Amino acid sequence: MTAPLGRVVATERKPNTPHEFHFWTALDSPVGIGTIVRVDGANPIGGQVPHIYGIVVEGFSYTDLQTPMHDVLGHDGSPANAGFSVTERAEIRLYSAAVLRQIPEEPLQPVPMGEVFLAEDEDVATALRMDGYLREGSNTGIPVGVYRAGATDSVIYLDADFLLGPEAAHLNISGMSGLATKTSAVEWLLASVFAHFPESKGSIAAVCFNVKGPDLCYLDQPGQIDDRDRALYEKMGVRAGPFEKVTYYAPYTAKGYALNTLRSNEELLDNVVPLTWGLREVLQFAEVLLNKDDIDAKADALIDFITERVVNRKFDADPHLSREHTVQSFGDLENWFRDLLRGLERANADSWRTHHIATIRKVRNRLSNISTRCAGLVTDSGEVSDLPFGSFDDRAVYVVDVATLEEDAQDLIFARVVSKLREHLERRDLGVKHLIVFVDELNKYAPSDGQDTYVRKMLLDIAERGRYLGLVLFSAQQFRSQVHRRVVGNSGTSLFGRMDSDELATPGYAVLSPATRTKLATLEKGQLMVRHPHFTQPIFVRFPRPAVMQGRDGAERYPQAADVTLEAALYRSLRLLDPSVSLSWAKDMVALYDEPEILRARNAVMKAKPAKVKAYFESQFRKIVPSQPALATTSRSEPAALKPLPLGDPYDV
Amino acid sequence: MGHRVGVIPQSSERGEREAWPVSAHEARRFIQSHVPGCTPVDAPPGDGDIYGRSDEPPVMVQPSLMEGTSFRAIRVADPRTVRGSSGFGGFLDGTQQIGIVSHMGGIPIVWGTVSAAVRVRVDRRLVAWQRRAPTVARRFYVPIRYVDAIPVELRHDGRVVDTGVPDAAGKFPSRHPAALMERAVQRIQQDRELLEQELAEEWCGSEEGVLYVDGSITANGSVAGSRRAVGIIKSHRRLYAEGDAFEVIVGLAAGERSSIFKVSPRTRQAVASWYLRVRNASGRDALFGLVRVEAADGEDITSRADEISRWVVAEGSPLALPDGRWDKMAYGIRDTEEFLRAIS
Repeated sequence: MTAPLGRVVATERKPNTPHEFHFWTALDSPVGIGTIVRVDGANPIGGQVPHIYGIVVEGFSYTDLQTPMHDVLGHDGSPANAGFSVTERAEIRLYSAAVLRQIPEEPLQPVPMGEVFLAEDEDVATALRMDGYLREGSNTGIPVGVYRAGATDSVIYLDADFLLGPEAAHLNISGMSGLATKTSAVEWLLASVFAHFPESKGSIAAVCFNVKGPDLCYLDQPGQIDDRDRALYEKMGVRAGPFEKVTYYAPYTAKGYALNTLRSNEELLDNVVPLTWGLREVLQFAEVLLNKDDIDAKADALIDFITERVVNRKFDADPHLSREHTVQSFGDLENWFRDLLRGLERANADSWRTHHIATIRKVRNRLSNISTRCAGLVTDSGEVSDLPFGSFDDRAVYVVDVATLEEDAQDLIFARVVSKLREHLERRDLGVKHLIVFVDELNKYAPSDGQDTYVRKMLLDIAERGRYLGLVLFSAQQFRSQVHRRVVGNSGTSLFGRMDSDELATPGYAVLSPATRTKLATLEKGQLMVRHPHFTQPIFVRFPRPAVMQGRDGAERYPQAADVTLEAALYRSLRLLDPSVSLSWAKDMVALYDEPEILRARNAVMKAKPAKVKAYFESQFRKIVPSQPALATTSRSEPAALKPLPLGDPYDV
Repeated sequence: MGHRVGVIPQSSERGEREAWPVSAHEARRFIQSHVPGCTPVDAPPGDGDIYGRSDEPPVMVQPSLMEGTSFRAIRVADPRTVRGSSGFGGFLDGTQQIGIVSHMGGIPIVWGTVSAAVRVRVDRRLVAWQRRAPTVARRFYVPIRYVDAIPVELRHDGRVVDTGVPDAAGKFPSRHPAALMERAVQRIQQDRELLEQELAEEWCGSEEGVLYVDGSITANGSVAGSRRAVGIIKSHRRLYAEGDAFEVIVGLAAGERSSIFKVSPRTRQAVASWYLRVRNASGRDALFGLVRVEAADGEDITSRADEISRWVVAEGSPLALPDGRWDKMAYGIRDTEEFLRAIS
């Protein structure tokens, strides 16, 4: 039997209660803030010796010195003399512990006097009520880290039912930037979830929004971990390796040549997929891009009309239109607007179908602007390259890289992707039963103040209703206090890395003891404080470095590709599908066709992934009649065109 | 009654008779149940001062010089510099708690608790010697000749001390309550000294280090003759300073000792002794920081006196505040007193 490391004490001024008790230890005991202890009561209650489990939340140290002045006097005012006293003063280490659990749980009584022991593995499981979900046959534990104190080295498990639904769900991570807490913790936890999520609960995948830097750009590349990390992986039963199924999605740059992502190095492009949307995909979320002034009731009505009656329909028999329109792209929509406005001007009309001409001009202006503001993501031509909604793969990670995009484009991507995920989960046809959505920088996307945005509404919706669908939000931010409280409040599990002192001074942290707050402000890398519905008090754990390449390392090893020419961009894209594609072939193609046609054809190939890449690519163009050598004749003939006419050329009849 | 596990019910008379009290409260109840007609007194226990001093009156005594030909000051340590090391391995002290728990027609029935302990220094921290609990004795002090109602079994119980016996001159104490209290206090002090002597004797017979004894070592022959015990006397009701010695003693600077002289009380053992100023007394009274040291005599007593004096000066840090005798008291003694107060 292990020796006790402390004794419970209580005085009239500092009594024990059912939720808190005090104990003292030897000066060299391994107890510290966050240590879990067990108290063995001396007197049985109802025939059962009470065991009380607690976590140390405050510590006190003092000597028999009555005032500091006595020490000054004792050393003649010279601190240098103080270390030479032949005797050290009597000193105490007194700790306060918050009760985690009492056994028996009834009757709930103040903590009795007794000996205090360091909690061992079994005690930790009991104290944190993990014994309820780590049972053989119904184990829903997801390792989150290792609790260490003295010789105890216990794995701490979260309950999958409370992390990923349906009982509770969602996870929120707070921590200072630059300390490898938030991203590392999510990478580690995703690996743990993929390794331990019970088969009986079905499939699971993750969609991660990479919102800054190269943080999530190398999840499929091995990272640097040491033996201590490997030992932690082994202890927690998680494979120490990169994610096996990762696909990246990124829009093109405004020029449209290359993908707008930091993961643009040629060696890594094999699993990077373009993300491009056309008119139909965007119009549904026009609200995301238009501010309240833009979308007054009149404009909203016109946009609804266009969405329902114009887009993807044959629109004819209108006296103001000169011809029939089938609007499928932003380009078509612009032509439709131009035709309509000319017709109205010709007829000297100031309204059309109850919509005032000024409203029509305004909506035209705003909608046309979208393809400019979101160039690279939104295509004029209407080509769509999207996440594989409907065929999501089990234990796969889909990273949507929006780090280098404008804010509007980020919002649009976020709103549409999440909406689609939600729709498919509601219909149970996403491809997986559970989906984790990771969003960093929640301060920005779901702030506690400021105007209500579409993105914030969506995040609130996920936080409040997502768990019923299997849609789980893993979110992160630097300042939890500045995130909408319904988002963080609905997170069943919260992780905290090292925190800023100012943040810790906000009311949200008042429930923590001063010592716990101090510990939070000084946490090392790789340490987290965990709050989980089963844990009555926050627990401190260590987690291993993620076994994936970190953003900074990846950016150094796989530098971002420099700006490329059109032919180089074409060559790089198509060669991934067909190694026989050569740069000279790409140059020939560029010489033959216009840039928009080249890009459209390239995008079509990338989407279709045909067996015969070159043939498919060339089939995307209109047939060019090869030039004929001039015949030696006196009759005059038309000279052959050097290039085909541009698409949409008004003179092309 | 009955609110705590282990409390003996009042009806269990036999059990109560066998259980000797361990607190003044229990002692009061005990005597109430055993001595019919006595009146309980609810007075807080103290160390006996409130009942009148039993010490001898202040006297000046001519010192019997053992070192040199004249009484002089000898510099042994410089307390202004970093304090030196100490050869003391343990600290011995005792405490007493005295209280009137009842009276019988005005005759006080006193409950006294005496305790003694040795604290040893391990890695600069003080711990109980051999992890022992303090030696504790709890007794009633009753002038039996004036308390007729006391039952026979208690009269013959060794834990009931008769304070009504005649003194060396054959004189019985008067019925004056103050006189009876003074008798009781004297007996309790004797009991405490006895406990201390037993511990000191045991130390000298078993330990290698030197024991810092709070008080005189002359009462016990084996302790007084041992090099493993040094007595430090803080009170100076008997001052060995008659004649020229007085000016030397009151003029001692911090870190200075007096010449060694012999102390040989009539009924006790002779030892070598000297005065030592452990703290600067400028701006204070003449006896501030002044202690008298007692050690076994020997050929090397001069060099030992220097060495022991340096040890005593070193023991002045940390301060024994908030004890009122902090100027003379070693921290180890204060620690021992606190230890006794806490668990005896």
